[in-house]
This record gives sequence, structure tokens and C-alpha cells, in this order.
Amino acid sequence: MPTASITLRDVGRTFGATQALTGVGLDLKPGITGLLGPNGAGKTTLLRLLATALPPTQGQLSVLGLDPEVPAERTSIRRQLGYLPQEVGFPRGFTAFAFVDYIALLKEWTQPAARHSEVRRVLGLVGLSDLGSKRIRAMSGGQRRRVALAQALLGSPAVLILDEPTTGVDPEQRVTLRTVLAEIARTSVVVLSTHQTEDVAALCERVIVLDRGRVRYDGPVTDLVHQAAGRVWLADEPDPEASVSWRTGTGRYRNVGPRVRDGAEQVEPSLEDAYLLLRGGSPDHEPREEVAS
Amino acid sequence: MTAALAPARPEAAAGRTAFAALAARELRRFAVNPVFLAGLGMITWILVTDPGGNVPEIDAISGYPAAFLGGFGMMAAFWLTRSMNPSEPVTGVTPVTLPARTAALCTVAILPFACGCLALLWFIRLHPVGLHMYGAFSRPAQVAILTSQIAVPALGGPLLGVALGRWVRFPGAALVVFLFIFGWVNLVTVPSLFHPDSAPVTLLRMFSPFAFFTLRPIHGDPSHIIAWRGSPWFFLGWQLILCAIAVLVALLRGADGRLRSRIIRALMIVAAGAMIMLTLAGTGGFAHPVSL
Repeated sequence: MPTASITLRDVGRTFGATQALTGVGLDLKPGITGLLGPNGAGKTTLLRLLATALPPTQGQLSVLGLDPEVPAERTSIRRQLGYLPQEVGFPRGFTAFAFVDYIALLKEWTQPAARHSEVRRVLGLVGLSDLGSKRIRAMSGGQRRRVALAQALLGSPAVLILDEPTTGVDPEQRVTLRTVLAEIARTSVVVLSTHQTEDVAALCERVIVLDRGRVRYDGPVTDLVHQAAGRVWLADEPDPEASVSWRTGTGRYRNVGPRVRDGAEQVEPSLEDAYLLLRGGSPDHEPREEVAS
Repeated sequence: MTAALAPARPEAAAGRTAFAALAARELRRFAVNPVFLAGLGMITWILVTDPGGNVPEIDAISGYPAAFLGGFGMMAAFWLTRSMNPSEPVTGVTPVTLPARTAALCTVAILPFACGCLALLWFIRLHPVGLHMYGAFSRPAQVAILTSQIAVPALGGPLLGVALGRWVRFPGAALVVFLFIFGWVNLVTVPSLFHPDSAPVTLLRMFSPFAFFTLRPIHGDPSHIIAWRGSPWFFLGWQLILCAIAVLVALLRGADGRLRSRIIRALMIVAAGAMIMLTLAGTGGFAHPVSL
């Protein structure tokens, strides 16, 4: 069985006069890749390109060795694709089971017995085994998110694209979800976009940081965290030298910045620290030189 | 709860199998749609309570099936088509393309059409062809008229509903179109009341998805039935071509590449056929209105 892969060469996407993505080049292999970036960085656009929901306006995109611009090849890609969009609406009156079953039908699960079994399996994976017969409109936001996630997991796809999968999901379910994704990622390309850096730290071997449509960092999570070593410190007051400071639960201030004040109490950096450092501490910060490894 | 994963799905079924399964699913959803069931209930009640036999004017009752099966069917199909729109970000990246999903939705028209055919048979049983109320038309022509007034609208209405659902965002579009067609049919019929012998007026009356072919004069002998100009057979052809146009317009949404070119080419051919059918419907039939 060939190894699943996604390749992007100088890919760009414009919406009218807005350049959402510029010159993105990536090679994605089996495993979990996290996508970080501020709002409007182009994460959702990139995921939509990978999910064949949107064609690139520049460059070349290849998913599983197939060209999504060619209708027949696009269909072949979609047979091996699971996609969780940022926002999913649900038809009125559908139960969780009926909705996932309908999507399974669209994913060409035509044998009712096999399809129903698969629907039950994915509902079980997201912890909704007991809520299959509940109407989606009557569910909580987190439960709806899990219904949407269940449809993406149908058939253990070779490519799994997840846009903020853990939004609204409780901590226990997030842990379970991590286990599920780690299992799928043994053979599948899993790309997940999130604002939860702890999810990326816990799950991903690789992280891509997007900013204003460009890749700011692409490499191992550990390398990114390592870049922040010696640049995070605790103090009793917010440090003016720091790029970003915030008050922690202990009442002290955690500071992240390019230079540590002499004598400051240094602490182990987290992925969030490294991300903030990369971003310069501000959502509106002008990108500096490429930091990617 | 378990995180264990099942093996990958079985080999993807052929597109045709998936289409058939999807069509069956949509048909089941349509069959339980409250609007369709309401229309079906209304027409059943009308036919059950119809005493049958000769009536002063057949047009007074032959329009009900069109309204309740065609009109209500259109609104139900419109709702059905739009119902999955909120999930388009998910459904839009499945192997079953939007045109294939549209085609599956179009197949639901089989159900109201079958109901329309049953209503037609029931209607003919209640009001057998050859009765005075059908006017001077031949018996086959009388069947053609009833088919165009009862069975074909039950097919065309839902197909139009699917096309509207694919192209129009306004949630009340089907109701507006239903009222518009009702007004349109009546409006194009009015000139024939005053100028029944006019070819352009006949053509205007035929330029509609539904047409009347007979008239009981308001003044004069009330037992008289006037058979208007216009060919029922070619009108039937015109209606069926309108159905084809509705299907093609619906399929055009989301079609790309070669499929899109094919649909556009087919639309042009069908539009030419529609013009020919309309002309023949307007100019065919009796040379002058015939009073019986």
C-alpha cells in the first residue's frame, strides 16, 4: 500500500483582491501535523485546499498523488478523505445517527449493514454511542462538534483534515480524541488546525505556523519549543522587556521575550510560549524573518 | 467507549450503486414530507368525495391535482433540496458530486408522478372520456388533456422545486413561484375568453406549464362546451420539455468541466425543442374553436 502524502508547491489562493495564502510549499506524510496561526492567517483556507473544497489559484497541489483539479482524480481523493470544517450546519430533524449515516451514504457506503456498523463505530469513537438517536438540534455545542467529527472519521480515511476539532469539547473527550487521532495517524496524514497549543503539543510531531498567508515555521514541535528556551521567565511584575506578559494563577507574571532580564527566574518554555515568541507577542505583529527550521 | 479502529472501509462501491442508494434515501425523505403528504391527502379527499359523471365544466376540477400534487410537490422538493445546504461544507467534499446528489433528488419526482398517474386513472374512472364536458376533442386527445393537467404537473412541480432549491437562496421561493404560476396560468387564459379564434392568443395560452382547453360560455346556452384551439399532444410535449429543462438547470449547479459543457449543450438543444413544441402546440389542434 503506497504511503499517504500531500504535496504543495508554491501554492497560493486569492479571494478577489485578498491574498489568503502565498507561496506555500509543504510535504505532508503520515502522522499528525498541527497548524497554528492567528485569526485570518490562512489556516482554514489551507485546510479547504487540502480537503479539495477549494482549488488553489497558484501553484500545484497533489493529494495522495492525485490532482484535485481533475474531476475524476478529485473524486478518488474524496473517497479517502475525512474533513471536519470549522463550522458545520445540520439539517433540521436529523438525529446524530441519521446524519452520520447520510454522510456515510455519500461516502459510498452502500451496504446498509456495513454502513450502520461503521456509523455506530465512529459515534463510539467520539463518545456518542448512547446519543445516536438524539436529535442534533437538541444537543449541546460540544456534542454537535463530536457528531461533525464522527462523520470525518468514517472509513478511517487516508487523509484527515480537521479544522478546530476540539472546540467546545470537554477535557475528557479531548484526551479520548487524541488517542483516536494518534491511532489513525499511524497510516494516515492528519492535519489539524487549532488555537489550542496544548493539543498540538500533546499530539503533533510537526507544527506549521501560518501568518498572513505565509508559512512562518514548519518543523518539529520540539524544535519550536526549544527556540523559546531561555526566553521565558517569571517575575512579580510584568516585564517591559517582554514581548508578552500575563498574570498566572500563582499571582506572578509569566514573561516571554527575546531577552531575559538578568537574575530573572527562568522557566521551561511551553509550545504556547514558543508560538507567542515567534509571533512577537502580538496578534498584529509584523512578521519578522523566517524562523522555520 | 473505545479508540480501536476498524479496518478501512470495503472497496468503494461504484458510483451508480451509491446513486441508487442515495436516490432511495431521498425518496423516503420526500415520502414523509408533511407538505407532500398534505397535498396527497387533499387530492385523495377531493377524489373520494367527487360524485363523478358529467359536470358542467371539467376545467373546474381538473386543476386540483396539479395544485396539490404538482404545487405542493414543488414546495416539498424545494425544502428537501435545501435541507442539506447547511451541511454543504461536509457533503461538498464527498465522492458523490453535487450534480449526482441533484440527480438523486430529481428521482423523487417519481413518487408524485406515480400519484399523479393514479389520480389520472381515478379521475377518468369518475369522469370517463367521451362525456359531453370534454368538448369536441377526440377521445385520445381528451386523455392527452387530462394527462397534461393531472399527471405531468405532478412530475414537473417537484422537478422545478429541486431546480429552485439548487439556485435560489430565498426560503419562500417555492411558495412565491407556486403563486406566480397560478397567476400566470390564469392570466394567459383570460385573452382566450375574448379572442378564442386568435392564433397569437392561443400561443400565449400554451406558453404556460398548465393550460385549459375547454370553456363553458358564461352567456348563452350553458350546456355548450367550446373546445379551444391548440394541440393537446404537442402541449404535452412542451410540458415534458419544461421538465427536462428543470432537471438540466438543477444539474448545472456545481457541474464543472466536461459535464458542465454537456449540460449547457443539452440545454440549448432542449430549449430549441421547447420552442418547436410550443409553436406546434399553439398552431396545432382545431383550426377554429369548436362548440358542442
